[in-house]
Amino acid sequence: MLNYTIRRLLIGALTLVLITFIIFALIRNMPGDPMMMDLALVDPSKAISPLEYERMKKSYGLDKPWPQAYVQWLGNLAQGDLGRSLSWKKPVTTVIGQHVAPTLILSISSLLLSYLISIPLGLTASVRIGKTDERVMSGFLYALYSFPSFVAALFLQIYLSVKLGWFPLYGMTTTETYDSMDALGQAKDIMMHAVMPIICYTYVSLAYYTRFINANMQEVIRQDYIRTAKSKGVGPVSIVLHHAFRNTLIPLVTLIGLTLPGLLGGSVIIERIFQWPGMGQLYFMALTSRDYPLIMGLTLMFAILTLAGQLLADILYAVVDPRIRLH
Amino acid sequence: MNQLTSPPPESIQVSKSVGFWKEAWSRFRRRKMAMTAFYFVCFLAVVALLAPAIAGTKPIVCKYKGHLYFPAMGYFEPTWENPIFQKDRFRKRYPKNLKEKDPDSWAVWPLVYQDPYRRIREDEMPGQPGNPARDEGTPNRYNIFGTDTRGVDVFAQIVHGTTIALLVGFVSMGIASVIGITLGSLAGFLGGWTDMVISRTIEVVMCVPTLVLILALIAIIDRPTIWHVMAVIGLTGWTGIARLTRAEFLKLKQTEFVSAARALGYKPLRIVFRHILPNAMAPVLVPISFGVASAILIEASLSFLGFGTPPPNPSWGTLLQTARNNLDMWWMTFFPGTAIFLAVLAYNLIGEGLQHATDPRLRSG
Repeated sequence: MLNYTIRRLLIGALTLVLITFIIFALIRNMPGDPMMMDLALVDPSKAISPLEYERMKKSYGLDKPWPQAYVQWLGNLAQGDLGRSLSWKKPVTTVIGQHVAPTLILSISSLLLSYLISIPLGLTASVRIGKTDERVMSGFLYALYSFPSFVAALFLQIYLSVKLGWFPLYGMTTTETYDSMDALGQAKDIMMHAVMPIICYTYVSLAYYTRFINANMQEVIRQDYIRTAKSKGVGPVSIVLHHAFRNTLIPLVTLIGLTLPGLLGGSVIIERIFQWPGMGQLYFMALTSRDYPLIMGLTLMFAILTLAGQLLADILYAVVDPRIRLH
Repeated sequence: MNQLTSPPPESIQVSKSVGFWKEAWSRFRRRKMAMTAFYFVCFLAVVALLAPAIAGTKPIVCKYKGHLYFPAMGYFEPTWENPIFQKDRFRKRYPKNLKEKDPDSWAVWPLVYQDPYRRIREDEMPGQPGNPARDEGTPNRYNIFGTDTRGVDVFAQIVHGTTIALLVGFVSMGIASVIGITLGSLAGFLGGWTDMVISRTIEVVMCVPTLVLILALIAIIDRPTIWHVMAVIGLTGWTGIARLTRAEFLKLKQTEFVSAARALGYKPLRIVFRHILPNAMAPVLVPISFGVASAILIEASLSFLGFGTPPPNPSWGTLLQTARNNLDMWWMTFFPGTAIFLAVLAYNLIGEGLQHATDPRLRSG
């Protein structure tokens, strides 16, 4: 197992170098550069003198050709330095750190919520399979799964916010009054802003998890030991919970590993619609403002998370199921 | 009579066993939802093909100065509209000009006299009022899905946007399938170093968030058209297909019929194309169908973010983008949103139908 993990880590490191190299090459060859993007946004007519441009280029470290800059970036990375964000004028790690919490608020609440709802739903569906109520529920969940989240976000905004006025349209806090609130009031304020994005995050995974649990239960419920339990006279609730559901936990555990990048990654589109100051939004802004160090930092983080999630899933798989050996 | 002479041999009825695809199709047909979804996609294709005849401002057929013309074809390709109308200064206003310039002319009009690119003015078509603009365009008799802020009919835009939605799905997944199946078969069949390199490539592409990769690639293109967008979606969406094809090849390589083919001395190319690939196709079709759904979603999200279909091409996502800034105009969200939802749902249902029809483990009875 240790051997396996070390080998996977080494391959992972190689993959990371490849990914960062490709993305570095891609973004440095995108038209436009940070200085241009910055000024064009503020005032299109304000042209910058060529001398000033060269000076800024040098101070941003953009005067070197990109392969050389990449090697330098890699060297700094080895010393734990991701560089400074060009548009935020702060170290990349600080900028990322500031945006992690808002995304986590959404993703963790939505993860817990979807597990809380989907496990009972999935179990019910597996017991009632083929009956009318299960068919209606499955059909409804399937439709929900196909429903684009950005359309849902717009519907929610129109209905819950514009029409009913229950929740604020976007943002994470009420800017004017937030600072004067006490801690409880601030928490409530954030919660109110988070409701609609959380719904958007949750409903898709809800449908997915329910189907996933149901499908696994269908496989387990046909096993011999379930029949044995039934013939022993074990009650239906106990069969479902203790005999069947426990054995479907293995695939569920691996699924957690694969959701890891999603947890921190956030969704560009949902965060854009709700103006949520999270990672997805940050990534999008970094791309549009050509903030090279920030893009690289975020890409690195996503890639590490994805690889770590895959590794975690494989290892967890072996941990929870002793029959599986990793080579 | 000589009994020994055998009677003329009656032709022995050998019923050919039903082929895999035929059986899969009959299984697919039995699933009502999947078939409904299939018919819905066919319906979308018909709408896309007949879009200029459903909503437009150019006659489908007209007789003008003694000749027959088909100006509506101009919606597909501007050069297909006969230049005579430009020469005679029609300025895209057909109804009045036809009558004025040739009193004997006649024309067959589209079902709905509305244009996906511009606002209909008062008196353009006798008896039809002009389109309301700004936020006054609630759905009415003449604009059944309402109008957007510029006064352009939403129904016409959705009908003409169907083409893009369908094209995006098929073209981008076509590209993705070609790349995915080629790389996946190479990796699975050859193994060794080839497999190592291809598997790493797949991993690299999978580790970068799709939307970011797409945005970066689109930014590099100088003037992105809808075809560029499709190509980029295809170039980033092949990993799942490649992985599955590779796994299938690894599995099928070990089977007896492949060993038999090898023992018979068949060339590797023949083994791949005649023996392995046809057997690997069924499982690969499923992610392709789901991929079409996600391609439509990606195109809509890109347009929604302002990076997709360049204006003035009507696209469902672009409509939603306008809707985002005008939330009180509910019809701007509702109709395009429903259109995207139904298209995605249909492809997902077809994918699931295919899965059940082709995977023997999922067969019930």
